[in-house]
Amino acid sequence: MSAVWRASRAAVARRRLQTAVIGLVVFCATTTVVLALSVLTAASAPFDAAFDGQRGAHAVAAFDAARTTPAQLADTARRPGVEAAAGPFAQADLDMPEDWLGHPPGRLTVVGRADPAGPVDRVELLAGRWATAPGEIVVNQGFRGSPASMLGARLTPSGAPPLVVVGFANSMSKSAGGWVTPEQAAALHPSGLQMQYRFDSAATEGRVRAGLAAATAGLPEGALESARSYLTLKSAYSALADSYLPFITVFGVLGLLVSVLIVGNVVSGAVVSGYRHIGVLKALGFTPRQVVAVYLAMVSVPAVVGCLFGTALGWALSGPVLRVTFAGIETGTAALEPPAWLVPACPVAVPALVAVAALVPASRAHRLSAARAIAAGSAPRTGRGLRVQRALSGTRLPRAVSLGLGQPFARPGRTALTMSAIVLGVVTVTLTTGLSSTMLAASAPPEGSAAGPRVRVQVGSAAEHQPVPALGESGSAALLRSTPGAAAVTSRALVRLGLVGHDETVFGDFYDGDEAALALHVVKGRVPAGPNEVIAGPAFLDQHGLKLGDRITLDLRGRRLPVTVVGMPLEGNARAVGATAAALAALTAEPHVVEYDVRLAPGTDAAAYAAAVTAAEPGLRASASSTDPNTATATVIGFSTVFTLLLSVVAALGVFNTVLLNVRERRRDLGMLKSIGMTPRQVVAMTVTSVAGLGAVSGLLGIPLGMLAHRLIVDHVKVLVFAESMKDVWHAPQLAGLALAGVAIAVLGALVPARSAARLTIAEVLHNE
Amino acid sequence: MTTDRHGTTGHDGAPPTVVDLSGVHKEYGDAKALDGVDLQIRAGEAVAVMGPSGCGKSTLLNMVAGLDRPTAGTVRVHGQDLGALNETGLALFRRRNIGMIFQFFNLIDDLPALDNVALAAQLTGTPARQARRRAVELLDELGVASRKDTYPAALSGGERQRVAVARALMNRPALLLADEPTGALDSRSGEQVMDLLIDLNQIGQTLLIVTHDPKLAARCAGRLVEFADGRVARESGIDEGTPERTA
Repeated sequence: MSAVWRASRAAVARRRLQTAVIGLVVFCATTTVVLALSVLTAASAPFDAAFDGQRGAHAVAAFDAARTTPAQLADTARRPGVEAAAGPFAQADLDMPEDWLGHPPGRLTVVGRADPAGPVDRVELLAGRWATAPGEIVVNQGFRGSPASMLGARLTPSGAPPLVVVGFANSMSKSAGGWVTPEQAAALHPSGLQMQYRFDSAATEGRVRAGLAAATAGLPEGALESARSYLTLKSAYSALADSYLPFITVFGVLGLLVSVLIVGNVVSGAVVSGYRHIGVLKALGFTPRQVVAVYLAMVSVPAVVGCLFGTALGWALSGPVLRVTFAGIETGTAALEPPAWLVPACPVAVPALVAVAALVPASRAHRLSAARAIAAGSAPRTGRGLRVQRALSGTRLPRAVSLGLGQPFARPGRTALTMSAIVLGVVTVTLTTGLSSTMLAASAPPEGSAAGPRVRVQVGSAAEHQPVPALGESGSAALLRSTPGAAAVTSRALVRLGLVGHDETVFGDFYDGDEAALALHVVKGRVPAGPNEVIAGPAFLDQHGLKLGDRITLDLRGRRLPVTVVGMPLEGNARAVGATAAALAALTAEPHVVEYDVRLAPGTDAAAYAAAVTAAEPGLRASASSTDPNTATATVIGFSTVFTLLLSVVAALGVFNTVLLNVRERRRDLGMLKSIGMTPRQVVAMTVTSVAGLGAVSGLLGIPLGMLAHRLIVDHVKVLVFAESMKDVWHAPQLAGLALAGVAIAVLGALVPARSAARLTIAEVLHNE
Repeated sequence: MTTDRHGTTGHDGAPPTVVDLSGVHKEYGDAKALDGVDLQIRAGEAVAVMGPSGCGKSTLLNMVAGLDRPTAGTVRVHGQDLGALNETGLALFRRRNIGMIFQFFNLIDDLPALDNVALAAQLTGTPARQARRRAVELLDELGVASRKDTYPAALSGGERQRVAVARALMNRPALLLADEPTGALDSRSGEQVMDLLIDLNQIGQTLLIVTHDPKLAARCAGRLVEFADGRVARESGIDEGTPERTA
């Protein structure tokens, strides 16, 4: 065994507590980093992987069959810039009058394909088989799951023969709602032809548009009806996750920063406190390089162990965390797993970071002469620190307190690192408090809502083999109003709509009744005042290149309705618009109400009301509404709480380490102070004050930074629009409480070493001198 | 018996007993540091404790200062049974009754001489201005007032020890304990410190000095206690040069 390794092992064994602190800090830091990177990567990487796996189409284009021919379209595959193309496939829009397989009524786009393979958009069969005969259909399934029980279901489109579901498949390109044989597609009177393209360059929306323009350059005017870029799908894929991504990104970055600072602080402290040991090693004949090697090995051992455990825990946690984060999102065949590269990368990168952090002070050890190292025992103190101590000694503060307040100035570098960690801890706590308040305010009932328990009443669907209300829409509403306890009844109708100029369908939510305006939850703009006005969320507007005041045209089975976007809800679905029942009446006279929201008079028993409704009309399935915050709110609050706890623990560990080092370095002073009558309580007060002052200053610095970070985040969440009242969450008592966060982190970290300082045996300390 | 500032007054009208050790044992694991020590020191006495390394001299000093606790026996200082005090009680006791001088001075490097001295009073709650005024007086008496703003690193060994003595006297202790006070000094500085201790004793300060230096013991102490193997091996009055008691 080499002398370096032997000396390192001895140093590790002798400094058990410090070794444990390094290991613990690296463990917490690695767990935080793995979690943060998992979620950040999962936001887009799984889509990319699944999309590439299917050789997804960069653009799916629909052409007017009356203006172009299949041969002309086939030629577009050979245009410059087109890497691969598939089609033309016949495309038909079916009108589904009833709910089908859990989907609302509306348009179903089917495409005729002989098989799921091909150079582009290799559709993945999830259950059943591919359609091989007329009357068969394979339905596009947004989720990987087990829809086998629904195989054999009959779809009955208006004006077309029924289709039997023989398979479920997934296209990450969302090239169709379903696939039939080419012969069947021809029989469905297709209105268009579909081409799918992959381009040489498709990294941006502009390049996709340019590629499509080049491919379709020679076609007759008006031949291209609509086209959709894969970037829109990618954006839609992460649309819900987008509501938490800014939060997660910030916490991830904070986690990384705090980890780097604390690791640097802990490791450099270990080296600085070992100066006497360094001197002894050099006196024994260790070369400067060997001394550096001893110290690097000494900190690397606990760092590697902590990192391995941290990676394992982070990896174990990231699976469930990802599942929660992406719950309810159409993930297609994308695998929601933490990226595999984290497993080898973290155990390499984190110890490397630790080694770099150790290298700076270790190089000081490299330069220090043996005699000076042994004589000094620790790094020399600075003149500024002495002046501050002197100034404090003349103040009216209790001497134990003024001594403590002066200590940070003795080691400015260590103080700066410790303070930075506390500042980041306070930023995190402030940010979490702000975000939680904002999200809770956002999930609270809209302003103007009356108090009272609520009941959600779902309308039974024949397609899902549920009893359908015999009373009809008006009868159902009348029943709900007449059942004792009801104070307000609001209905929601759901229809799948076409959007003129766009290939995909969108959902329309139409509200009617006593609190329709409140149900739309408009936070920007205004509530629709007539049939030609809608609201749409920021994600919808972003993906369709729209803004408030723009006009779009809705299409329901050929009936078109031009509307103006007049408002934005807090959290709009990326594929939905909202409006009042007047707009729905302008599109159709058919019933489409899917649920009712009933507000009861205060004191009414919601469960009894729900039971009474369902007893009177089995087609109405009523249940008391949960008052719990929604998934996004719970996720954001859950995430921020976990990260805040982790970061606070890491910051407190940094403080713990700093105080531990200070206590060790000042053992002689402590012994002397106790010998002249400093009580244990005064020792604790002095030691805690030495970092509590830093905590207080860090609090004052961290709060405005946390408030700024909160503002930046809530203003830049793409899919959420917060009302000003939701952003203005800061109040004096809350800020006063936050100001204590820095002190709390500092005191938490300092208490244990302070108590051990108070218990120092004076005789032992002074005798050792 | 009655108690005054200097300790317990005897019925015989003799100076009161400041230190009273009775059957004191101290063990560290299997090692016996003190093995049944009985020792009394009266107010105004200057007692030197001598003996070879490891004989228990420093342990004795620690017992008297309340820095360590005996395994068995009682230690009474200034009428107070130290065994009955908790850590805080011991700290308050030291603050009021004990001044300590160490071989290596134990000054705080971050503080100039003046603040090192004032510190002892400030810990008792004395305002900074008042504590500094008294510290200046003491430094002046000890001949180092001109060095009051100097940090320990820039003081000579003798100056450091004078500052340490000033700090020890700051709270007017009943008992001054000195652990090898000249051990780290050159001969000239050592002489100066010895003179200082003699002067202090002459004005009534009770002294307990632990030393290897026979010259220090002979010059500064009126009574010599020789230790061996954790026991008092011999006690003698230095002036008489005759043994008072032999173990």
